[in-house]
Amino acid sequence: MEPGGLKNVDTVEIPAVPVFSWSVGNFMEKFFDGLKDGKLMGIKCPKCGRVYLPPRMICERCFTENEEWVELPLEGTVESFTIAHVKVGDDGELEDLETPETIGMVKHKGADTCIVARIEGLDPADAGVGMRVTVVIDKSAENILDVLSHYVPC
Amino acid sequence: MQDVAVIGVGLSKHVSKRRDVNIAELVYEAVSAAYDDAGVSPRDMDAVITGNMPAFEGVNMPELWGAGHWGAYGKPLLRITTGGTTGGSVVHGAFYAVASGMFDTVIAISFEKQSDGDTTMGLNSVGIADFAAILHFGTDPEFLVSAGGGAIGIVAYQATSYMKSSGCTTHHYDKVAAMCRSNAARNPYAHLKQPDITPEDVAKTDMMEYPLRFGHCCPATDGACAMIITSADKAKKMTGRPAYIKSCASCSDEAAIIGIFGGGPAHLDPCSQEGCKKAAEKAYKLAGIKEPRKEIDVAEPYAPFANQLLMFYERLFLCDEGEAPAVLDSGSMEIDGELPVCPSGGVISTNAIGASAMERIAECALQIMGKAGEHQVNKDVHNAVAHGWGGALNLNVVAVLGDTPRR
Amino acid sequence: MEKQVAIVGYAQTGYGSYVDASREILVLEAAAGALRSAGISREVLDTVVTATNDYMDGRTISNMRLVEPSGAWFKDESKVEMDGAYAVLYAMMRILSGDHDVAMVIGASQASVYPTYIPGVMMLDPTFDRERWLLNEVSAGALQARAYMDAYGATEEQIAGISVKNLRNAAGNPLAVRRMPVLTVDDVMDSRMLYSPIRELNAFPPSDGACSVILASSEKAEQITDNPVWIHGVGFSHDSYLTERPLDKLGSLKQAADRAYAAAGISDAKDQVDVAEVHENFSHEELMAYEALGFCGEGRGSALLESGATKMNGELPVNPSGGALAANAACAAGLARIAEAALQVRGEAGSHQVKGVKTALAHGQTGLCAQENIVFILGGE
Ligand SMILES: [Zn+2]
Repeated sequence: MEPGGLKNVDTVEIPAVPVFSWSVGNFMEKFFDGLKDGKLMGIKCPKCGRVYLPPRMICERCFTENEEWVELPLEGTVESFTIAHVKVGDDGELEDLETPETIGMVKHKGADTCIVARIEGLDPADAGVGMRVTVVIDKSAENILDVLSHYVPC
Repeated sequence: MQDVAVIGVGLSKHVSKRRDVNIAELVYEAVSAAYDDAGVSPRDMDAVITGNMPAFEGVNMPELWGAGHWGAYGKPLLRITTGGTTGGSVVHGAFYAVASGMFDTVIAISFEKQSDGDTTMGLNSVGIADFAAILHFGTDPEFLVSAGGGAIGIVAYQATSYMKSSGCTTHHYDKVAAMCRSNAARNPYAHLKQPDITPEDVAKTDMMEYPLRFGHCCPATDGACAMIITSADKAKKMTGRPAYIKSCASCSDEAAIIGIFGGGPAHLDPCSQEGCKKAAEKAYKLAGIKEPRKEIDVAEPYAPFANQLLMFYERLFLCDEGEAPAVLDSGSMEIDGELPVCPSGGVISTNAIGASAMERIAECALQIMGKAGEHQVNKDVHNAVAHGWGGALNLNVVAVLGDTPRR
Repeated sequence: MEKQVAIVGYAQTGYGSYVDASREILVLEAAAGALRSAGISREVLDTVVTATNDYMDGRTISNMRLVEPSGAWFKDESKVEMDGAYAVLYAMMRILSGDHDVAMVIGASQASVYPTYIPGVMMLDPTFDRERWLLNEVSAGALQARAYMDAYGATEEQIAGISVKNLRNAAGNPLAVRRMPVLTVDDVMDSRMLYSPIRELNAFPPSDGACSVILASSEKAEQITDNPVWIHGVGFSHDSYLTERPLDKLGSLKQAADRAYAAAGISDAKDQVDVAEVHENFSHEELMAYEALGFCGEGRGSALLESGATKMNGELPVNPSGGALAANAACAAGLARIAEAALQVRGEAGSHQVKGVKTALAHGQTGLCAQENIVFILGGE
C-alpha cells in the first residue's frame, strides 16, 4: 500500500487543551524550599547510602523510605551533554533554534543521580563530558521550576 | 495452567485531593500495604503488572518515572490500560502471568490521582471522534452538551432505559445509593462515607441529569490499589486462607457513545450490556459455577452510578432480567443479606478510576480471606464475582474468586 | 520453551504518512492481512490484544474503538500500553494459561496526526523535568549517545555506519519509509543536526502504520499452518528513570536478553542466532544493543559493525528490514521486529531475506533511552 493510499477521513481541529496540576509531594517541596535558600538538598537511602537528587521518597534499589536529607555541593560534573540545534515547538514538532544551546546531565559530588539543565557561559564546542560546572540558582524566578536555572563552567 | 491465588491486598487512603504526595508516592502507599499484607517484599516478585487511565493525569506511562517507588526496578513490567476496566484488566494480566506458568508471584498495581489531572477533559476525549464528526457536519454544539458532558450523559440514558424495562423507580436508585454509602462508612479506604444516610436524603440532592441526582453519582477520587498474586502452590505455604482467582473473562462489544459511529446492542439499548453477560457466562463456566445465584456469596458489580448496580446485578445472572429492583426491596443485597452487593461501598462511594475495577476484585478477595474487617459480610464466602465496565459503553471484565482453586 | 506458542500469521501496512486515513482503517488493514496470512477467519480468534497509546491517539481508552477493526467484537480483548512486542507477550501468557488458543495482536499509531514529540515529553517526571522542556525523545537519546561514545570511544562516523547499513537494507523492504540504497556515511553526517550527536538520519522517522501478528497454541498452530514460527523464549525488564541510571549501557536489555536466552537454551548468542531484528530508535542504540544482547563484548559494538558481521551477508545480519530507523510507527515498531523475524524464519522476506535462518531474535523497547526492553527468540521446525 502506497502512503496516502488509505483515505477515509476528513481532518477536524479540536480546540481543547487539558489543564493539569501535578502534586510534587512533600519531598520535592523540600527540594524547592532548599533551592529558594540557595541550597541543593538531596536525600540518602538509610540502607544502601544511595543519594537521590532531585530527592525521591523511596530508594528504588532497596525499597526503603529515604529519610536523611543531605546538602550537596553546588559544583558538579557533566556526565553527558548535547548541543541542541532544535527544540520541541508548541506544535510538538522539532523547530530550529537560532542559537544552539548546550544541555547537560550533571552529577553533583555525593549524589548518585543526575539533573538535566542548560549549561551557559561557554562556547558549545567547548562542552565535554567530565567538565566541572556550578549550578546557578535564581531565587527571584517566578516559576518554582526555574529556580534551578542553569549551570556555568567552574 | 497453574492455579492462581491472591495473598495480599493493599489500598491507599482514598480522598478527593492528595496534594501532599505525588502520583508515585500515592501508589507507594497501596503497594507497600500489599507487600506487608502478604508478608513479602519486592524481592519476592517475579513481575509487575500496572495500569491507570492515561489521559487523566497528563502523564504518559507514569511507571517510567514512578515504578521505582513500587519495587519494579529490574523487574519485568507490563502496562495494561483499558479505560474504566483498567484495574480489572490489570488483575486479569496478573492472573494470566501466573496461570501461564511464566511467573510465580506478581504484584498488580492500579491507581488514579484525579486531582492532578483534568478528568472532565479526559472523559470528554472519550467522545472526541463523535464530537468531531458532529462539529464537522454542523450540528448544534448544544446537542453535545446534552449528549456528552463526561460519563453522566451516557449513563442517564442507561438509567431511564433501565427504568422502562424493569419498572423500577428513582426511589430504587435512592435506596442503592444509601445502601452503598452506608456500607462505605464501614470501609476505612472508602471515599464518601455516610453511615446514617437514608434514601430520602439521596432524593433531596440536586438533580444532575434526569433521573440521576448528585447522590446517585460517584465522586472523583485520588487512590491506589495493589494486590499480590501468586500460584496456588505458593499461596498455600504463605497464607492460611488465600483467595483463589478461579477465572477471568472479558468481552468487548461494539463501541457507542452518541451513536453516530457506534452500532450494535451497546448503541441500540445502552442497558443491554451483552458483553457483560457473555463475559460472565464464560467466567462462570471456567470457574465451574453452574448456578451463580446460589453459588455466589458476594458480588461487586462496577457501578459508579446507582442505576448500574441493579443493571449489572442482572447481567451477572444473579437474578432474572428486570428482577433486581425486587431483590433490592427484599433486603438481600444489604451487607447482612443473602447475597450482599458492594459491601465495600462500591464505585459510587469511591472512584479512583483506573483502580476501581481492581478494587472490586480486591474486595472479593478480602471477603474470601475474611479480612474485610468492619465490612466483612455476615456469612461464609465461598465464591464471589467482581466486575468492571467502561470504554464507550462497550468493555466488560468479570472475575470469579473462591476459597478453593478452579476444579 | 519447547513449541508451546507459535506465530501463525502476520501483516504490516506500509509505513509512511496516512494523514487521510483513520487509525481504524489502518488497524483493519493489518488485522485482515494477518487473518489472510494465517488462512483463518475471525471466528477462530479467542482473544485480541492491541497496543496503542492514548496520547498518540489524542483520546483516552484508545482500544475502545478498535474493537470492530481488530476483530475483537464479542471476544476477550485487552490493551497493552507499551510497544506492541509486549502485546505479543501478553497474548502468549493468555495462550499458555490454557484459557485461550488463538490470539490476534495489533500495534498501531499515526505520527502524522499527533504532535510528534509531545507524547515523549509527557513521559517525563512531572514534578521536575516535564515542564522544564529540555528533555524529549531525541534530546534524551542524544545524552545517551554521548554517554556511550564517551565511555567506549565510538565515533559519530561509526554510529553513522548503522544508519548506512540499515537504510541500505531498507531498500529491499517495500514497506519501509526510508529506502536508501546508495546512502553513505557522509550523507548521514550532512543530514540536519537535531541534538548533537544525533542528526536526522541517526533518528527514527515518525511514521504511520500498523502491524499484526496471530499467535496460536501448539495444537492449533499445527492445524492452521505447516510452517509455524515457534516462540522459544521471551524476556523483558524495566530500568530506572533516565537520570537515575547509567546511560552508557542498556541494562534492562541485557536482563531481558539473559532471561530470553535462558528460556530458549541459548548460551552463545552470536553463534546460535541467525538473524536479529533490533528496535533501534537511534543508530547508536543498535551498537549498544549488540553489547547488551551479547553479540560482542562491552564497548565492542563499533568493532562488530566494522567487521561486517551484522551486514546482510554477514554471519549475524541485524535489521535486514532496515529496522526502526527505516520505519517507525510507535507501538508497532517493536512488534514489526517480531513480524520481520518471523518472515525471516519462514523464508518469506523476499528481497531482504537472509539465507538459512533457523533462529531469529526480535527486540522491542518502550520509554525514553530504551528504559524498558523485551526480547523474543523465534525458530522454525
Ligand atoms: Zn537504597
